[in-house]
Amino acid sequence: MPHAVPPSARRTAIVAVMSVIVMIVAAGAALVIGVSSVSGTAAIGDVLSHLGIGHSSLSDVQDAIVWDLRAPRVAMALVVGAMLAVAGGSYQGVFRNPLADPYLLGIAAGAGLGATIAITRIGNPASSGIPTYTPWLAFGGAMAAVALTWSIGGRGGRNTAATLVLAGVAVSSLLTSVQTYLQQSSSSSSIESVYLWLLGSLSGASWAQVWLIIPYVVICTLVCIASGRALDVLSVGDMESRALGLPVSRVRFLVIVASSFGTAAVVSVVGLVGFVGLIVPHVVRLTVGTSYRRILPLCVTFGATFLVLADSVARSALSGAEIPLGVVTALIGAPVFVIILNISRRPTT
Amino acid sequence: MSAIDVHSLGVTIDGAVLLSEVTLSLEVGRWYTVIGPNGAGKTTLVETVAGVRAPSTGSVLIEGHDVHALKERDRARLVALVPQHPVIPAGMDVWDYVILGRTPHHGLLRGGSASDDALVDDVLARVGLTRLAHRDVTTLSGGERQRAVWARALVQSTRVVVLDEPTTGMDVRHQTEMLELLRREVDDCGLTVLATLHDLTLAGQFADDLILLEGGRVRETGLARDVVRSPALSAAYGTELRVVDVDGADVVVPVVTRVSERAVTSST
Repeated sequence: MPHAVPPSARRTAIVAVMSVIVMIVAAGAALVIGVSSVSGTAAIGDVLSHLGIGHSSLSDVQDAIVWDLRAPRVAMALVVGAMLAVAGGSYQGVFRNPLADPYLLGIAAGAGLGATIAITRIGNPASSGIPTYTPWLAFGGAMAAVALTWSIGGRGGRNTAATLVLAGVAVSSLLTSVQTYLQQSSSSSSIESVYLWLLGSLSGASWAQVWLIIPYVVICTLVCIASGRALDVLSVGDMESRALGLPVSRVRFLVIVASSFGTAAVVSVVGLVGFVGLIVPHVVRLTVGTSYRRILPLCVTFGATFLVLADSVARSALSGAEIPLGVVTALIGAPVFVIILNISRRPTT
Repeated sequence: MSAIDVHSLGVTIDGAVLLSEVTLSLEVGRWYTVIGPNGAGKTTLVETVAGVRAPSTGSVLIEGHDVHALKERDRARLVALVPQHPVIPAGMDVWDYVILGRTPHHGLLRGGSASDDALVDDVLARVGLTRLAHRDVTTLSGGERQRAVWARALVQSTRVVVLDEPTTGMDVRHQTEMLELLRREVDDCGLTVLATLHDLTLAGQFADDLILLEGGRVRETGLARDVVRSPALSAAYGTELRVVDVDGADVVVPVVTRVSERAVTSST
């Protein structure tokens, strides 16, 4: 008897096509949003002309606004949203914990401490603004935090999901307390800069930054997606996974390294953007079921779309001022999470 | 060559001896059931044989390979495990759950093939779950769920399968159905089965051989009909057991003394 295509596979294909269309429309719309009025077709034509397709109808000033300011910001939102969502989904799989997000093992606290050191101690404490080397210290802090968590939670080969999560809580608390102390003992202008960084922003996005993080994001995302089948196996627990031939520790290490590295790369550039890694995998799960083979590829398009929309709100909701991106993602994410919880609680018939 | 060779196996955890000096040689194509009172070491024995628990002393060879020296993937190609309380992932459908059994036949990051899909379809038909293939595995009844776990073990395509209480939580009809499925695989496919069972009657009726454990040591091994009649059985369980012949089938029953009679006996 030939194997019939299961309903879940057909549904996944339909959702995938729809999500790509929505992502492209959202990105196109984000190119148009802004103080300077540019039509949608002209903005898209301008972007295509830079890719060698057709000619732009915009003036030099409009071209600079679309191609040098808005397009890298939209591209950055797509890349960061995709990475955070894939990392969040991977963490939820590897820890078998629906509340896991990419910051579970201390990345947020480590990156925050690194950025705080850059802004308050190495930079000019009297000046406002965020030094250019902040991303490197944030990245270093994030990776150091994960390494510390792994060395504590995985010592003696006992890196079970529970011990790693507990180690992550301890490391996060420790690093956050140091970061808070440094922040409190700094000038008010430095404190403001630290807060701005902690809340995340895409306002300074440039093509150079986008190209800098893309290799990390592509490699880490591909590793996570390729691990989808292994994460499905992990859903039956460590002991059964080992009996099924899965090298549990190796898979856990690989997925955590890929997720953490990708997350650290994007966080170091845009700051701490919360809720994407927690919410998006749950939304995807509601549409295509619980298999990580289906969830993780769709996290790319869903996460990218979510952050493009959130950033559009962040820069257009108030006239003349931007809302910090982390505030917008939390404002959208918290109610969405409550809705998901209510849907998940409904008894199946 | 034996299917399973256990040499002087011992398991000690935090000073507690769970298994001691267990030596067994299990032949290919036979069904062995481990029996014994609670705490005898049945689960420890089958988990150690399946390679998911490390021994303190001794070794386990499956088809000549030391299971504890093998990588997970190589070991899972030799022996499949059906645990006593399998983790059933919420939201996963039966087909996706069963194909997890193909894990040792894939690379770490590589997907399955069309032949994997065909094997899953075939096994689902053999265990009677074809019409439930796309149902959420958590919505199955206890008996159906256990058949899904059994199907997962079968698609692992090993010649040795280890089962820990495969009929836990099932009613009598479903217990019998499950054990008949197992018996069919042993008889038709030459599978070697090592299982634990609490029900001595079912153990005696379905298995070829019984292994009686007590206090982590092997008390008796042999043909099922001989072990259920052995005086060692009553001694191991600490209660008198008798074998009653019902239409040619051995039924093991405890000799129960009423509470009031026990009270009188103990006072005199």
